[in-house]
Amino acid sequence: MSTPRTSLVLLVARQELLLAARSRWTQIFAAVFAVLALGVSASGYILSGGHGFQDFARTSASLVQLVTLVVPLAALLMGVMALAPERGTAELLFSQPIARRQILVGKLLGLLAALAAAEAVGFGLAGLVVFQNTGEDGAVGYALLVLGSLLLTAVFLSLAALIAAGAVGRKRARALAVALVVWFVAVLLIDLVALGVASLLPSTAASRLLILSVLLNPASAMRTGSLLAIEGTAAFGSGSLALLRFTRGTGGAAVLVTFSLVAWTVLPTLAAIRRLSRADL
Amino acid sequence: MIRFDALRKTFGSHQAVQSLSLMVCAGEVVALLGPNGSGKSTSLKAAAGLLRPSSGQVLIGEPGLSAMLPLARRGLSFLPQKVSFPDLLTGREVVEFYRRLRGVDPARTDQVLQVAALNGAAGRQVGTYSGGMTQRLGLAVAALPGAPVLLLDEPTSSLDADGLCAFYGLVEQRRQHGQTVLFTSHQWGDVERLADRVAVLVEGRLVADLTQRELSDRLAARGVMRLRIDACPAELLVRVQRVAPGARWALSQLSIPGSAEVRAAALEAVRSGGVEIRGIASDDGRLDLLYRDLAQGAP
Repeated sequence: MSTPRTSLVLLVARQELLLAARSRWTQIFAAVFAVLALGVSASGYILSGGHGFQDFARTSASLVQLVTLVVPLAALLMGVMALAPERGTAELLFSQPIARRQILVGKLLGLLAALAAAEAVGFGLAGLVVFQNTGEDGAVGYALLVLGSLLLTAVFLSLAALIAAGAVGRKRARALAVALVVWFVAVLLIDLVALGVASLLPSTAASRLLILSVLLNPASAMRTGSLLAIEGTAAFGSGSLALLRFTRGTGGAAVLVTFSLVAWTVLPTLAAIRRLSRADL
Repeated sequence: MIRFDALRKTFGSHQAVQSLSLMVCAGEVVALLGPNGSGKSTSLKAAAGLLRPSSGQVLIGEPGLSAMLPLARRGLSFLPQKVSFPDLLTGREVVEFYRRLRGVDPARTDQVLQVAALNGAAGRQVGTYSGGMTQRLGLAVAALPGAPVLLLDEPTSSLDADGLCAFYGLVEQRRQHGQTVLFTSHQWGDVERLADRVAVLVEGRLVADLTQRELSDRLAARGVMRLRIDACPAELLVRVQRVAPGARWALSQLSIPGSAEVRAAALEAVRSGGVEIRGIASDDGRLDLLYRDLAQGAP
């Protein structure tokens, strides 16, 4: 009796979802994200001296920063911990009659579902509070931000897969350290470095560099895409503005950042599959 | 059936396995022995499709398929040396997951949990299991599919008496069903009890491929008997040395090295000399010394 390929992937995904749902790290992430999202949605109320909540558009603009900071960190760390298991666990699983790529894709799907559920708690609570107090204006942009957050989760999970591919046992600690470095570079360092270098270049070269820093950095691409979706270009950084000028409109910029995020999801996953299939376990 | 065809595996400049050729036929139980770092686990992991051979290949079944192919791995079950499971799953959830993965009849879950004597603990999370229970759960997972080839890497290292019973039962059952079992062990008891044949690896090289009886004889030939007697007159020592040339007298103890037959003849010589024997101890040879001798080409 043999099990179809899709079923095997879904079986692994379900197992990973179960594990992630029971994991203390997922539960902590869900709780912290929910508290921060609620805090952001209520901050307008607090800042205005208790006379009103922020609407969806303002809440979304504030949440963009939170999402680009917290979601990549959670996806990278939880991804590496799940995808670089203990040696004895990996040896038993990978000796089964299932292709390594199926195991990897299944685990990624399970993790994505678990993190999406954890983020949904925060977005859902914050959205409910905003809706009850300010109505549905800007809800579409908010929904697009949720989608962007899911895409960003997928991007950093695929990067975690690339980092963790073939890393079992003692290599796991090194993979976690690499994940932290990737988060620091992608979320904090690249934009600062690009801005610093751009300030030394002539304007055309500086613009190109800033555009590249948005498209080649998934965190910046997501930030730009989300601000475009909620019509929050007023909050654009220099890179996003350079991209907007280059595409002469929001449509082109949206297409480019979406393409960038999809590429950042697919390419590292393919590279991880290739690396894992060649790895000695 | 499992066939190693000139398998070579290197890690950087270290040659873990050098040109291993070995065949284990259906219905055979073969023990892969050797000192630590001799390449036993590497060979088994290559057979389980976990390591890519540097050259050569490992073929599973008939006609042989490379162990790197998932299709080939349908025909085998592998128990790693230090098997582990996610702490947050219960024993039953672990077995259920692998049962579904292997497409096995649902009734097998309860059967293997019972065989592994885990029924009472199946509902507990694996994180609460002792080392022996985890090993038994590993045996349960390995026993699930009834695959024609069973690969076990030091399966008894942390088993208690119940676990050992379960393990011996599993291997005997596989032998009766004409299946192939290849296992590594440092426990001579496992080898004596289970193995039809013994392959000895030293520093990545296959230095001997013997029947279990041949290996027993070689170990016995390296045995030593120690007799505690009050005194050993010169004529008695001469008489004993006629049948056991290596016999030595020191510290109120007559040490007689040699095969079981040599030791029996020497004992008879001592008894017929009228000397009172106050104590007797006899040991077969040590495996580690045998490995060393085999590696040096000794018979």
